[in-house]
Order: sequence, then structure tokens, then C-alpha cells
Amino acid sequence: MNSSLLRLVLVLWIGIHVVPQGSAAGTNTSRTIPGGIHRPVLRGPDDPREIAVPAFGLDALPVTNGDFLEFVRQQPRWRRSQVKRLFADENYLRHWQGDLDIGSTNAQVLGQPVTHVSWFAAKAYAAWRGGRLPTTTEWEYAASAGLRTAMLTNDPAYRRQIVTWYSTPSPASLPPVGLTPANFHGIHDLHGLVWEWTSDFNSALVTGDSRGDTGIDRQLFCGAGAMDGAARDDFPTYLRYGFRSSLKAAYTVHNLGFRVAYNLAPYTP
Amino acid sequence: MKPIPFLITAMILAMAGCSPNPGSTTGVPPCCRPALPSSRPLTDRSIYHLESVWTSDAGKTLPLSHFRGRTQVVALFFTHCEFACPILVNDLQRIEAALPAEAREKVDFLLVSIDPTRDTPKRLREFRAEKSLGLQHWTLLTGAEDDVRELAALLGVNYQRDARGQYAHSNLITVLGPDGEVVSQLKGLNQSIDELVRQIVTTHSQP
Repeated sequence: MNSSLLRLVLVLWIGIHVVPQGSAAGTNTSRTIPGGIHRPVLRGPDDPREIAVPAFGLDALPVTNGDFLEFVRQQPRWRRSQVKRLFADENYLRHWQGDLDIGSTNAQVLGQPVTHVSWFAAKAYAAWRGGRLPTTTEWEYAASAGLRTAMLTNDPAYRRQIVTWYSTPSPASLPPVGLTPANFHGIHDLHGLVWEWTSDFNSALVTGDSRGDTGIDRQLFCGAGAMDGAARDDFPTYLRYGFRSSLKAAYTVHNLGFRVAYNLAPYTP
Repeated sequence: MKPIPFLITAMILAMAGCSPNPGSTTGVPPCCRPALPSSRPLTDRSIYHLESVWTSDAGKTLPLSHFRGRTQVVALFFTHCEFACPILVNDLQRIEAALPAEAREKVDFLLVSIDPTRDTPKRLREFRAEKSLGLQHWTLLTGAEDDVRELAALLGVNYQRDARGQYAHSNLITVLGPDGEVVSQLKGLNQSIDELVRQIVTTHSQP
């Protein structure tokens, strides 16, 4: 009953906000994430407890199907029929009806986060927008904020909500972007919508399987690769690292999208 | 009697474009020879679609597609490695030694650094000398951080730098066929190389 209520709310929201203009681009704005200290949950035994993160720009919303449609209109080589298998597997944009046709329920799909996109496609989109993908550290740093505090650990209620999100399977039809509350930095949907690509997703040397991680594949990974958790209760972070480490760059997944990050212009007095 | 078959073999090799005139290439590493002409378009799965530009230890800049036409045995490494890379490089040398002579002539070895800050062309030259990597078949490359990340992503190599400047990384040896498609991969260190060697030889028995 809750889900049907949610669906009704979503439909209304879509009706109000996603006026089919052909593209939802323009509704997404970039926020400045101030520099600070990130304390990674997962790190190697010799890694520092704290990483300095310089300020960077990050889009408030994930990229939508509408945004991505505009991209493939302008960049034919990223259309479904033209993309090279090297750069995207056979499920690339499979939820679209065709190269430039995202289906009959257009208005609804336009505002949903784009998924079934490979890392290469995400990277190309970000570059086309004048940005780049966030690094894993940047993404985790932005996602470690609470709703009204820069530190998620100071926001236990929101933290519990996040754990609940992660233990709920993705719905068959994704909600539109921007419905989850903005965090302290003004960023939506870092939790509770889809997984997101990071530029160095392939830096995590965990296998994603808790049994596997206790005896990481020593043959495959160099000795320096052993990871241990700094805060064992941070379950969602483990899930994200595990998920990322299971990916390959050409993979496309039904609940994996991305958002764009930006370098900030160097400070000039 | 002996010189005649040898001459024929040499002519066939020369015509196939696999071993250009031996005299002119001695001492010239693969990076610095002219690219081999090819009439076939690259398939969808060719790594030679990458447009990134790399710098060899000889200081030459080139795209990976420069290596088209010959089999490449590829590994990602870094010269300051304390753990696995010496074994990884040694594994490549074992593969080279295990190849039958005629296959060895058609196979090159490509070491790409994941540590672009420290692995300058000069440092790669020193490493080549330290490990006695033959000029004729070995290439050492360094590139932009983003491009390394992309190549690693394509090959399925994960890596991460730790605070001491060591990189934790997958130990993975990839064989690229003449058109840049992954023919075979070997995971782990000190594995049996027999299967990989067999596949390289098979690649070369095909037209």
C-alpha cells in the first residue's frame, strides 16, 4: 500500500515537474563541495586515516535519460547501434526503444536516472558536459554528509534511513531524480536511487564477497591490497566498494548510473 | 643444402611483413619502427580503438594502435614495485623464453606503467637496462593518469596507490592479437604459462 501511494506521488511529481521538453538538461545544477578531510571506511593497512579532498564541483542530480538522449543526439558514436562493444556491453541503453527513442512512457523515462550505461559512456558524457566523473574519494566524501551536517555520523536518523534504502531492492521502474532529500552540500540521490560510476571505480581491491574478502585472492592482488574496515558498522560503504570492485568498464547495469563532477577554477586573488 | 630453406623462410617472413629486413631493425625497439600497414578495419573489440597517446622509454609518443600487426603480451606495472612486479616481469620473460623461435619473432612485450609521476621515460630506460629487456621486442610506456586508468579498465586491471607510494594492483598478463583483441589472459603470479604460450602460437598459425 505504501508503494502504490509512492507511485501516485511519483506520477503527480512527474506530471508537474517533467514537462516533456525533449530534454531535462538544465534542471541539473552543479554545487561546490568545499574541500575537507575524508576518513575512508575502507583502506589498506598502510593508508592514511584521513585524506585531504580539495574543493570540487558536483552535479546536484544524476544524469537523466533526457540528458543522455541529448548527448547521443549530438554524439552519434554513443548511440546504441553505433557504440563499439569494447566500450559498452550488449545491454547498453537496452531500456530505450531505439537509438533516439526512449519509449512510449517518454515523459516518465526522461526524468529517471539514466542506467544501462558503461563507464566509458559515462566518462564521455561527463567530458562532453565539460566535466569528468568524480573520483571514488570525492564521491564518498560528498556522500558522507548528513542532511544538516557535513558528517553523516552526526546524523543517526538519516544514517538509519540510508541503511534501509540499501536493504531495499531497486524498483522495476526507477523513480525520477531529485526526490530524495538534498544533503548538507545540496546534493540529491547519492543514497536511495541508483549506484553511480566513479572515475577510479577499478581501484578497489575488494572482491565484494565478505567470505572472499577475508582471504582476498592473493594470487591476483598484490600484497599491498589487503583492506580492513575502519568502522565496521558502515554497511552501505562496504556494499558500494564491493559493488564497484565487481564492475568492468564496459558493463551496463539496470540500476547503475552516474553524475558529473567538475574541477574548480584555481583561486586567483 | 642448408642455406636455401633459410632463405625461403626469410623471404616468406619478409613478405608477410612480420620480420622486416633483420639488418635494418636490429636495436630499434617496436615503438620506433614504422607501423605495419593494415587493410582490415578494426573490430568492435579492438583495444586499438583507444585514442590515447603514450610515451615510450625511447621518448617517442605514439597511440597503442602503433603496435597493430604483431602480437603484444601486455602487463601493467611500476618500476618502484617491491612486491609483485619483479615476478610479473619475470613471468613475461619466461613466456618469451618458452616461445618457439618462429613465434618469438612475431611477438612483442609491452610494459605499461601505472605510476606516471615517477616512471618517466628516463626511469623506464634504466629499468630496461636493469632487467636486460631486449630492444628488439620490448616496449615500456608511460602515459597520462586518466589514460592509464582507461587502459586498466579495458584490460580488467584494478589498482590503487597506497600512502607509501606502492600500488596494490591485479597481476594480469594479457595477450593482444595482431588487431588488438584480447586473445588470452593469465591471472596471478608464477602461474603455468603453458596454456598462454600455446594460445600465442595458435594465434600465429592462423592467417
